[in-house]
Amino acid sequence: MKMNGGAIEADLLLNCTDMSVLERQRAHLKYLNPGFDSPLAGFFSGSSVIDGGVIDGFLGTDGLNLPMIYGENTVEGDPRLSISPETMTGTRNFKKRKFDTETKDCDGKKKMMMNRHEEEVEEEEKSKITEQNNGSTKSIKKMKNKAKKEENSCSNDSSKVTKELQKTDYIHVRARRGQATDSHSIAERVRREKISERMKFLQDLVPGCDKITGKAGMLDEIINYVQSLQRQIEFLSMKLAVVNPRPDFDIDDIFAKEVASTPMTVVPSPEMVNSGYSHEMVNSGYSNEMASSGYLHFNPMQQVDTTTSDPLSCFNNGQAPSMWDSHVQNLYGSL
Amino acid sequence: MQPTSSMNEEFLKKWQMGLQIVRPSIDNTSVSERKKAIKLSADIAMASLRKGTTCWSRALIQKTATEDNFLVRQMLSGIKEEALINKRLPKKVVCHRKIVRRSKKILRRKTKSACEEAAAKAKKLVKRRTQGLRNVVPGGDLMSNDVLLLQETLDYIMSLQTQVNVMRSIVDAAEAGTEQ
Repeated sequence: MKMNGGAIEADLLLNCTDMSVLERQRAHLKYLNPGFDSPLAGFFSGSSVIDGGVIDGFLGTDGLNLPMIYGENTVEGDPRLSISPETMTGTRNFKKRKFDTETKDCDGKKKMMMNRHEEEVEEEEKSKITEQNNGSTKSIKKMKNKAKKEENSCSNDSSKVTKELQKTDYIHVRARRGQATDSHSIAERVRREKISERMKFLQDLVPGCDKITGKAGMLDEIINYVQSLQRQIEFLSMKLAVVNPRPDFDIDDIFAKEVASTPMTVVPSPEMVNSGYSHEMVNSGYSNEMASSGYLHFNPMQQVDTTTSDPLSCFNNGQAPSMWDSHVQNLYGSL
Repeated sequence: MQPTSSMNEEFLKKWQMGLQIVRPSIDNTSVSERKKAIKLSADIAMASLRKGTTCWSRALIQKTATEDNFLVRQMLSGIKEEALINKRLPKKVVCHRKIVRRSKKILRRKTKSACEEAAAKAKKLVKRRTQGLRNVVPGGDLMSNDVLLLQETLDYIMSLQTQVNVMRSIVDAAEAGTEQ
């Protein structure tokens, strides 16, 4: 199910005409590695499922699986879980794959442009196995323009015209109109697009960044925001240290007050005690259930055993909102 | 995107665990000691949520390990993250100032057209700001390229927001409790 969804999204991405170089790369990768899971997945949504073709494209950072295929060692001494070496080798490997297609016949290439997307993918896979590193960079352009031609033929859009520079027996070079074919400029363009993509996400995250355009201003805002968050944390931890004599005393206290304010009594359910929170939290079993029920009630998005929460959620609905309720609501209700 | 409530809960859970570990040792100590313990346990909880996938989390754990090794080991014990403490981080990106200054002088002599100067100034600004960002984000010096830096910043900001939300709610609730 997930694989089909990935393939469909990749298709959609490829068929839209306003695609950047970077998105096409990612769409190719996505198509080739449909079951691909990025470690960045946790960064965006914790435990929930990731939706949307664009976000998938972002999270599927270039070829995190590819180093495995090529057996290449990562650059810095941290092979397991670091992101940077893998993305670096990923882009390098991706270029390798594109180099390989240079060795094919030009007629064959022409045919491929008319064919459907699957055949192009097959060819890429073949080139993956051969694993030659010819070093010429014009083939990258060729692959990208192939994809573009594909889009054009599929969507009948003649606005993007490809210009042929040279027709030799070995190399087909096609450049986008008004753009250089240099390998460096291509790499730079990809890098710039990546950076702008991440800046867009940062704009969403940092409040008050909608009006600011330009990297320098945005970076300034981001730095100020991070510093202010860090200062807030210092201040809040100081406040916590002052407010209560013992670090975890407040939780007990708060839950005790919560218990005291409610007139109703609830039969403790064994499942609640066994929930993940029980170990770390509090001595009394009843407080345990209050804690877990508090979490369960105020978090409609989270996937939780509804069987255990049902007897207690109605209880929470019925009571008058106490101070703790409103604060926990602030904690969990905002999404 | 804002931090989700599941992230809030996970952070709270881990932080509580850390506080429980710290509790016996700081029962009657000064405010600053308590504050330090609270903050450190919160930092470690935040970093351990990432389970070693991000650079900043590993750098943060290493930094807190220098201040309170015992706490770090206790909080991360039993998980593979304990190995993270001893893991070697990638080398810092170091530029020799003399060489950089000399190359800048040479460059300055070459490019003199107006629009190029403006672009160069803008680039300088951006570079200065990225260096500032590296100073703020833990482990920023270790990230070799800008793309990674921005990615880590994104993740770090989300974790910081989670931390601030949870701490603020607890402080408010505790204050409300003491007022009653």
